[in-house]
This record gives sequence, structure tokens and C-alpha cells, in this order.
Amino acid sequence: MKKLFIVLFLVSSNVFAAEISVKVQGMVCSMCAQGIKKKFSTIKEVKGIDVNLGQKIVTITTEEGKDVGDDQIKKIITEAGYNVANIERK
Amino acid sequence: MLPYLLGLAFLFSSSISYSHPVIYKDGTMIASQNMQMFSDNQINYSFHQKWATGLNLWRFNRDNGETAQFGLVRLNHLLKRWNSDDSQANIYLSTGAGVAESNFEHKGTKAGLLGGAEADWETRTLFTSFKFYQFSAPKLVDVSISQARIGFSPYEAEFDKLQSWVMLQAMYMPQVEKNVVVTPLLRFFYNNVLWEIGSSLRSEWFLNFMVHI
Repeated sequence: MKKLFIVLFLVSSNVFAAEISVKVQGMVCSMCAQGIKKKFSTIKEVKGIDVNLGQKIVTITTEEGKDVGDDQIKKIITEAGYNVANIERK
Repeated sequence: MLPYLLGLAFLFSSSISYSHPVIYKDGTMIASQNMQMFSDNQINYSFHQKWATGLNLWRFNRDNGETAQFGLVRLNHLLKRWNSDDSQANIYLSTGAGVAESNFEHKGTKAGLLGGAEADWETRTLFTSFKFYQFSAPKLVDVSISQARIGFSPYEAEFDKLQSWVMLQAMYMPQVEKNVVVTPLLRFFYNNVLWEIGSSLRSEWFLNFMVHI
């Protein structure tokens, strides 16, 4: 029974979509930040993108069981012209 | 040569901008800035987050009907960017080479060059910028442009909402117009499109359009 719970836990942890919050520095212009949305939208692991200019946070929702690595996130944000201050996963 | 270059520039630039000469990596900017005394049409591609290249056509119009134009291949460089929590500041350098045609003091067609720099600082509700461009076709024509802008937005628009700005532009092109031309204007942008409309204090209309693709 214990093994069953462990298996269920391991399986379920890979099934749910992840929500990644990225604090971005320098993101003050909505037009200039379009590159962030454009770039993340081309990644197949990404289900949705939300940009909150007020809080300077980009929220990435991944497809179920998928993830986007910190290095890839930093690369995209940097290529869009900004700095990553912090990355949090929920 | 010049007509081909101008034709090519127009083919690729349906209309320009006055914003950052380098945008995000793999981004394309098409922009058109128009005023009675000049027009500036360009298309550029940012092949790196600090570098962009493209085609640029400038046309200068004197009140007496004389014109000068430069068709250029441009290279723009983001020299320095400061990203902070609530603001961004930038310094850009630009250079270009191509063809110039003029009937100012001398008539003819020669090789043309461009060198320039610009700087800006902005928050979500404040904007200021300064740029200086020098166009030169030796023994034919020289035109310099100094432009400064300040502006504010009355509200903080979210990412997918219309952003509106009120701006004041001062422009000095001594070889074209001996006076500083001051232009109050309105700037709007929505998603990847920006447009500006204004009228100078001497009643010259001003139109600017830009799109990021």
C-alpha cells in the first residue's frame, strides 16, 4: 500500500502543470516586452504566458508534466533585453 | 543606384519609428516618421540583443523646395543598458553607409555616411531621450539632427492595454531649418504597434508609425 502511494505521488507530481514566476528588471514598456511573450510562445513546453508590468513579473504556465529550465528562462529574458532578478516555481 | 536603393527601402518599409534602434533578438522593426521638413523610413532586424541592421531612407525638405536624401544600410548597437526595478536607460550607437542625393548647395549623387548616438531613460510614466545624427556626403551635403524629447503617461497601462503618452519634441536641423522646431505630440502603443501624432508650433504635422514583428 505504501509503495502504491509513493508511485501515485511520483506520477502525479509529473502530471500537473508548473507555474513559474519570473521577476524581471527593466520591464517598463509593454511594446518592448512583446519579445518576451513572442519567444516563450515558441517553446512547446509552454502553455501560457502572463506579463504583469505593475509587478514586473512574467508568469509561465507549462504543459502538464513539462518544465522550462532556469537557464532557458534567463536566456530568453536576456535576449529580450532585460535582467532576471528572481525565479520561483509553484 | 539611388533609385534602386530607395525603391528597396520603400519596398521593405511600409512606414518607422522613434523608439529603440535595437529591439529583442530576432525582432524586426518597421517604422516611418514623417514631417514636412523630413521623413525617415526604416526596417531593421535585431540579430542579437545588442545589434541590429537594416535599411534606412531619410529625406530632408527645405521650405524653398530643395531636398536631400540618404539611402543607407544601417548598423545599430546597444552600447549600454541599465535595467532597474522601475526604469530602463539605454545608450545606442548607429552607423550607416549608402547613397546620398541632394540639390541643396550642390547638386548630385555621391556616397553617403551616417554616424550617430542616442540615449533614453524611461519608467512606466516618464520618458526622456536625446539623439544626434550626422549625415555626410563629402563635397555634396551634410545634415545634422539633434532631437530631444520629454514625455509622461497619465496612467500605468497593463501589458495588453492601450498606453497613451503626452510628449514634447525639440528638433534642430540647421542645414534644413535654421530654427529649433518644437512639436507637442501624442504617443500611443498597443501590443506591438506604436503611433504618434502631433503638430509643431509652426503648424507642421507630425506622424510616426512603428511595428515590432
